[in-house]
Parts: sequence; C-alpha cells; structure tokens
Amino acid sequence: MSVDQVNPNDESKYAASARAFRDNVSRDLANDELRSNFRGAMDYLVDKRKTALSDSDELETLREQCKLIKQRCLVKLPHLLEALEEKLTANGIKVHWAETITEANEIIAEIIESKNGKTVVKGKSMVSEETALNDHLESRDIECLESDMGEYIVQLAKEHPSHIIMPAIHQNKKQVADLFAKNIEGFEHTTDVDALIQQGRNVLRDKFCNADVGVSGVNFAVAETGTLCLVENEGNGRMCTTVPDLHIAITGIEKVVEHLSDVPPLLSLLTRSATGQAISTYFNMISHPRQQDEKDGPGEVHLVLLDNGRSQMYSDDELRQTLQCIRCGACMNHCPVYTRIGGHAYGTVYPGPIGKIVSPHMLGLEATTNLPTASSLCGACGEVCPVKIPIPKLLLRLRQESVKPKGAPQVMKGQGSGRKTSEAFIWSVWSMIHKQPLFYRTSMWFATRLRFLMPKKLGAWTVARSAPKLAPKTLHERIKEREQAAKGK
Amino acid sequence: MSQVNTLHLRDYPKNPTKVYLYGTCLADSLFPDSGIDAIEFLERQGIEVIFPQGQSCCGQPAYNSGYTDEAKAVALEQIRHFPLDIPIVIISGSCGGMMRHHYKDLLKDEPGIEKFCDRIFEFTEFLVNSLNVQLNDSGPAERVALHTSCAARREMGVHITGKKLIEQLDNVELVTHDYESECCGFGGTFSVKHGDISNVMVSDKTKNLVNADVVRYVSADWGCMMNINGSLEHQKESLRGEHIASYLLARNAMDNTGDKS
Amino acid sequence: MTSARNNILSKLKSQVKDADYSKLPAEQGFNYPQQSFSEQLEQFITHLENNHAQIIKLTRAEIGKVITQELAARNITSLLYGDNSQYTQDIEQSDSSITLNKYSFDFAQHKERLFNDTPAGVTGSRCAIAQTGSIVLWPTPDEPRTLSLVPPVHFVIVDAKTLYPSFGDLIEQQQWADKLPTNAVLVSGPSKTADIQQTLAYGAHGPKELIVLLLNS
Ligand code: SF4
Repeated sequence: MSVDQVNPNDESKYAASARAFRDNVSRDLANDELRSNFRGAMDYLVDKRKTALSDSDELETLREQCKLIKQRCLVKLPHLLEALEEKLTANGIKVHWAETITEANEIIAEIIESKNGKTVVKGKSMVSEETALNDHLESRDIECLESDMGEYIVQLAKEHPSHIIMPAIHQNKKQVADLFAKNIEGFEHTTDVDALIQQGRNVLRDKFCNADVGVSGVNFAVAETGTLCLVENEGNGRMCTTVPDLHIAITGIEKVVEHLSDVPPLLSLLTRSATGQAISTYFNMISHPRQQDEKDGPGEVHLVLLDNGRSQMYSDDELRQTLQCIRCGACMNHCPVYTRIGGHAYGTVYPGPIGKIVSPHMLGLEATTNLPTASSLCGACGEVCPVKIPIPKLLLRLRQESVKPKGAPQVMKGQGSGRKTSEAFIWSVWSMIHKQPLFYRTSMWFATRLRFLMPKKLGAWTVARSAPKLAPKTLHERIKEREQAAKGK
Repeated sequence: MSQVNTLHLRDYPKNPTKVYLYGTCLADSLFPDSGIDAIEFLERQGIEVIFPQGQSCCGQPAYNSGYTDEAKAVALEQIRHFPLDIPIVIISGSCGGMMRHHYKDLLKDEPGIEKFCDRIFEFTEFLVNSLNVQLNDSGPAERVALHTSCAARREMGVHITGKKLIEQLDNVELVTHDYESECCGFGGTFSVKHGDISNVMVSDKTKNLVNADVVRYVSADWGCMMNINGSLEHQKESLRGEHIASYLLARNAMDNTGDKS
Repeated sequence: MTSARNNILSKLKSQVKDADYSKLPAEQGFNYPQQSFSEQLEQFITHLENNHAQIIKLTRAEIGKVITQELAARNITSLLYGDNSQYTQDIEQSDSSITLNKYSFDFAQHKERLFNDTPAGVTGSRCAIAQTGSIVLWPTPDEPRTLSLVPPVHFVIVDAKTLYPSFGDLIEQQQWADKLPTNAVLVSGPSKTADIQQTLAYGAHGPKELIVLLLNS
C-alpha cells in the first residue's frame, strides 16, 4: 500500500491553513474578544453536559456500551458497508463511493448537474466542509447556501466553522448583527437574538422553498434497515431532506452502525455530551425517497460514502479508535487549548482534540505536524469522550509517527516528517545519560555545582516564567549523606 | 458504590513496613527538599524507606515527545533498581501515571511489567489508602488551595486523596479556586514547543489561584509547580506552591498532642 | 467509482480478515429504574415543557374546541390537516370561523402556499417517549412530512396510551427494524437554535410553536 501517492491537485485547502498553525495561534491568542467568546461558550457547554450527565453510574455504563457498539461496528465495517449499500439500494436510495474529497465533490456535482440543479441548500455537514463542497459547486456555477443558522453566519462572514456543533461560536451577537446588516437586505438593526434569528429565518425559508437540491450529513447510517439518521434542533436538516426534489447525503464510512437498536444509546450520549440535551429537537430517520402515493419528500435520495484517510486510520489497531468518534464536540468543549486558541487556529475542518487526531490522516502528518504536539496531554478530552477514544494516547502515538526515523514501516501519510536531527540528537543524549545511573548522577552533580552558570533566560519558558533554580545538592546526594549520618550515629 | 469506572480501582497493600521511594528527576536536581520530607514523613509513620541510587527519570519527557526508543531505554533501567516486591511510592502524580500506566505499553514485552506497574503508588494515595494516616495539625490557621496535576486526577485518580489529607488539617481552610480541574499548561515539552499557548494557560491558572486569596497552594507534582511558581515569580506575585509532602511534614506534629479534641 | 468502492472495501477487508465475531465483548446497557405510568407521563410532559412545547390535556371530544381556542388566541384563521387520518373527524369539529384546508395536493405544486400561506398544521402521532419527551411522527400519504414541518404552528395529537419508557424500548417492542417508513421523525419541541452566543431562540426554521394535544383518558 502506498499512502504517499497523492495527486497534488487533490490536496485539501486545509493543508495550507494547518501548516500555518503557529501563526494562526499567535493571531488568535492576541484577540481578547475571541478568547472571551470561546471561554463563555465553553463554560456554558461544559455546564450543560455536566447537568445532563449527573449520574456517573449511568454515564460510565453508557460510555462503555457506546464504545463497544462502535468497536463492534468497526470490526464489521466492510461488511456493514456492503449491507448498508444493499439495503439502501433496495429502499431506492442510490449509494456512491469516494476515496478522495475531489471524487466526492465530483460525484455530487454530477448528480446535481444531471438534474439541472442550480441552487442547493445545505444542512449542517462537517464532511461536506471536509471536501470543501461549497467551493467546488460554486466553481461549477451552482449556488450553495448553508442553512444551519451557525453555518449561515459563518458563510456570510466567509469563514469556516470554528466548532463542529456550534459553527459560529466564535462570534457574539453584536458581531452577528453587524454581519447581517452588511448582508441581509432590509435588515432591521438589533442585537436581540430572537429578532436576529427571525430575520435569518425569513431569508432561509425563502431559499428552502425554492432550492433544487438539499445536501445533508448523516449522524448514523443503519445497515440493518438502510436508514440515514440526522440529529438536529433547527429543522433545517428536515427542510433540506424533505423540501427539494433531490436529496444528497454525504458521510464518512465510519458512520455506519449495524442495528437500529445501536442507535438509542449512541443518540442519548451524543446529544447529552454535545449540548446537554436529553435528545435533539428532531431526530430524522430517512429510509426511502418519496413513494408513489406520497405527496412530498425528494424523488431521489443519494448517499456518498467518503474515505479521505479513514481507511488509513482503520489500518492500525490503535489508530482505528479514531473512527469511533460520533462528532459530539465534547472533547473540544473541555479542552483548555481549544478554549484558549479557538477553532480557527487549527486551520483544519475539525478543530480541537478530535481534529488533532483525525486531521493528520486526512491532510498528512507533514501538514499537521504541530497539531499532536499542541497538547499538554491533560486528558480532559479522553475523560469526557462518550465513546472512550483515548485521545491523549492517540496524540502520543501521532507524535511517535511524526518523529519516526526513515525506513520504519509505513503507517501513515507524512510519517517521520516532524523528525528534526537536532531534536533527535538531544533525546538520544538524554537517553544515554538517564539510562546509566553513574553517568546520570555525575551529570547532575556537575549541573548542581555549576548552577550559577544556568541561564536566567530559557527560550519560550521564560517569556512568562522565571527560570527554575537548580538545587545546591541533588536528592541522590542528600539521601546518601543522610544514610551515612544515620549509620554514623 | 456509585462509580462503575474501574480504571482507578485497585488493591492497596495494608500496613506495609518497607517501601521504595521514587524521587523523580525534577525533585532530584531542582527540589530535593520534597524528597527528603517525603522520606521523613514516611519514616515517622514507622516505615522503612529505601531510595535506590540507580534511579534517574521515568522517561516521560522523551516518551511524550514521541521518542519511544529513547524513553524505553531509560524506563528499562529504572525497573532494574526496584527488585524487591514492595510498594514504590512516587512523589509526583504525572511520573506516577507514566510508570503505572504507560510502562505497560512502553515495556509490554518485558516479563513482569504488569506487576511492577501495580506496585506504583502516588504519595497521597499511599498515605490515605495504604497507611490510612491520621494527621494532627499543629500549624497556624490559614487558607490554602490545592492544585492537582492532570495526570494525578485522570491517570491516577488521586485528586481525592490530596484533598482528604488537607481536610484532616484542622486549622487549614481548603479553598476551591476557579477552574480548579483545568490544566496549568505545563505538559512537559508542550510548554516549550507551544510556549504561547502554555503561557496563556498558566496565566489563567495563576490568576485563579491568586484570586482565591490563599497564603499558599499545595500540590503533589513538581512539573505543575515549577510552571505555576515560575509564572507567579515572573509576575512578582508572592504566592507560592509547596509540595504536599513538605507541607504535611511541617504541619503534622506527630509528637505534639496538638489542640485536637 | 466502482474502483473507489473496491479499493475502500478491499483495504478495509484486508485488515479484518480473521476477525472472530464470537470474541466481541458483551455489551451492557444501563438499567433504568422502572417507572409507573404516571411517573412516565410526568417525565414526558416535563421534558416537553422544558423544551418550550405547550401541553394541553384534553379528551378526544374536545379536540375541535381546543384547536379553535388556540388558533383564535393567535389570530390564526386557517388550519391545514390530513385527510382520512385517525383524528380527521375530530379536527373537523372545530369552529366554522376556522378555514380547514385538507392536505390533498401535491407539495411540489403548492410550495409557496405551504411556506407563505399556511399559519398552522395539525397531525396525529404514532407514539411517544417518556425518557426524552419525544413524539414520534410517522408521516403517511394522508399526513405528509411537510405538514408537521413547514407551518409555523404545529398541533400534534398524542395519545398517552402510546407512551413508551424509552426510544430503545419502543424500537424493540414495535419491531421498527422491519418496517421503517420513508421518514420517521422524533420531535421533542419547537424548532430552536443556540447558534448565536448560546442564546436559545425558538422557531429557527421549523415550527415556532409545538402544541401538544395530549389525550389522557
Ligand atoms: S472524539 Fe469523542 S468527545 Fe471528541 S467529538 Fe468525537 S466522540 Fe465527541
């Protein structure tokens, strides 16, 4: 298997923005308003989740159950995908497969063009963000409008979602009002959230009514029944999948579950982990296109199954756990790094801890080399993940892949690209010292004796901290002295 | 029993008479007092403490940087120096997490590694769960905060034990600070590789500690304290952290009757 | 395209060639405490009310009257409803001041009317879920999907007899796996969003109001 063979034209636009991680971080850390928007939002979501999952017995039982469900579905993945395809086809839903984002976009554009579609309304779909579908459709003269309120705001602002559940979480109501004023004709200025939503609603209802195509994501694809399940609060997902005559759903291959009965526990933890809701306002289950005697619903329904690095995650037992993710966003809500730098700094479609573990597979480790290291490994993400993905462990693993020497067996695209000779040298010297007790003690003896030589400035460390001071004598020495004193007594 | 989370459930040796101490590399060269104080404290509980001179570092810095082979060589050397089947008490939660959990992966081919890992106990959990220590507070009344390292909290599940110990001190008021469970931003090489993010995190942590209006904060992790104290000093704040071993030793007057009724 | 399919599947399959499904660990769900019917009903109502739905308890004979009152209170004079459905006749008992429109047309031909000229719709429901306060819509040719989606006010008639403790129980007992319709929807309140500064606002795209007519005899 050659994972490095990628057509450069296929490179996602996010590769470049991910490479700019460090610059993005400096830019966003300097933005106080942004930081306070994120802090406020994260506090709110953390609190919501805590209230909704207050029974730790229930929580831990469900997390274990959901982890096992997803792991079972992953072990059976290729067969479930075949079963899903068969069932969907029998139900009248057309299934397409795409290995790359370019293929996925091409498939979708072709379906739309075959029906002479000109306008698309899109329900929230992170996978379509992953493929940058909007850009592609626009380049083919197809108008593509985001209809989730948050996504709509982000689209007006010509930005990307900064959170997978709440795309416009980085903006406050004043900023949204200014944005609407610039973009919505006849906008009556207000910072009242209800009034803002009403004006957004009016614009979008018009679009729903007239759109040729609805595009949506999928939260669970049920193999047993051939059903696409969508979780949402606004009703835009129902609009996109019901009103236009053509519905195209796009999802990652990992979203398939085996049984319908797998859905309730996953759904329960998904909504509670995400926003603290017992359930979302709508849980939409689509199993057929419009049937003969029915009066509404799309005449055609398509599903595009996307790989884009997922089969690479699948090819390693440890990294495969990445695919358990149900995209609840809890890991980012609890992440102290995400809370500080916000969602855009990552430069990737999926920000936060989940972004750090999926993006290297989608964009390659070379473009994302700064993501796995930008973590204090505090473990807050792993602690809340509803499907128990050991995120910190996977970050460590990606760090290992990133600095692997040349010639190591190929596990992922871009592995070894983070290895710097200087750093590798430091660690080999470090290892040599610390694995030889005598050498270690001698070094420490010298270090402590020469502590007056220790610089007061230690690079990044002393920008905000004073340098630590070496002790006059090491613990090893002091204990030895203590033992000798005791013997002497 | 309301927790189904079995990660941190474990058996504790009852009334051990002899333990090893793992000092950690940070305490060794920077903060040796806490190692001495931990030994003193344990000895006062009637326990013989062995400090193998062959120990150096648990390997975490290299391991967390992705340099597995280098970490492994160091880790292998450590386990050689703790041959007796007695508890290994470690005065840092994060090194504890490394040796108790990550060694199982890192050294998975090493025979007996599971048993070695199961002998690792963080200082406060050992005091509470193995020794069931009863403290007599002989110090003045004061307000303190507790900072529990993320590893202690999440890998070792010992955020409870530090609290239990401080709460035994009659004259000490344990103050909860805002965002207490949030990371201080240390994370080893993270604080250097991504200094700007780490700086913001530690600034917030110190602000919350200072706002708690305490005379000191106590922690069982030198990594975090080096970070937090360094930041406090840089900001010219007088607040400092103290290792829990030193703090308990100073406050617990075993020989005094104290004013406990 | 078929090559994409084959490539993906063969990559995946090569990884799990010798997977032994019998070795998969047992999955254990959480055992929720048993609740009496009245506790379940209470839970159902509380959830819905917390989610801003309006609950009106009534008897079947009162459906027409209550709908009339609620519409009058909102200055609404017309109502869209389904033909031949379970409650059609009860709905038709409403006051003559309300113009009753049957959904007896093809949606595609009447989109504008539905979006712009239909202030309220009423549907029945298949059943309900206590644990989450959810109502199960099971659209049919008589009560199409858009009837519960497009009009800003949605009346839904729920029979308390159809209450299930949880979604899981419901799927199992009604054997949903064998008979899912074109579209089934769980509805747990009016449409809402918190996308602007985490402030909840109702009526994002779907119905602004969900009025639950709860039959409890
Ligand atoms: S990794 Fe876990 S916590 Fe993060 S989005 Fe996925 S499921 Fe949620």
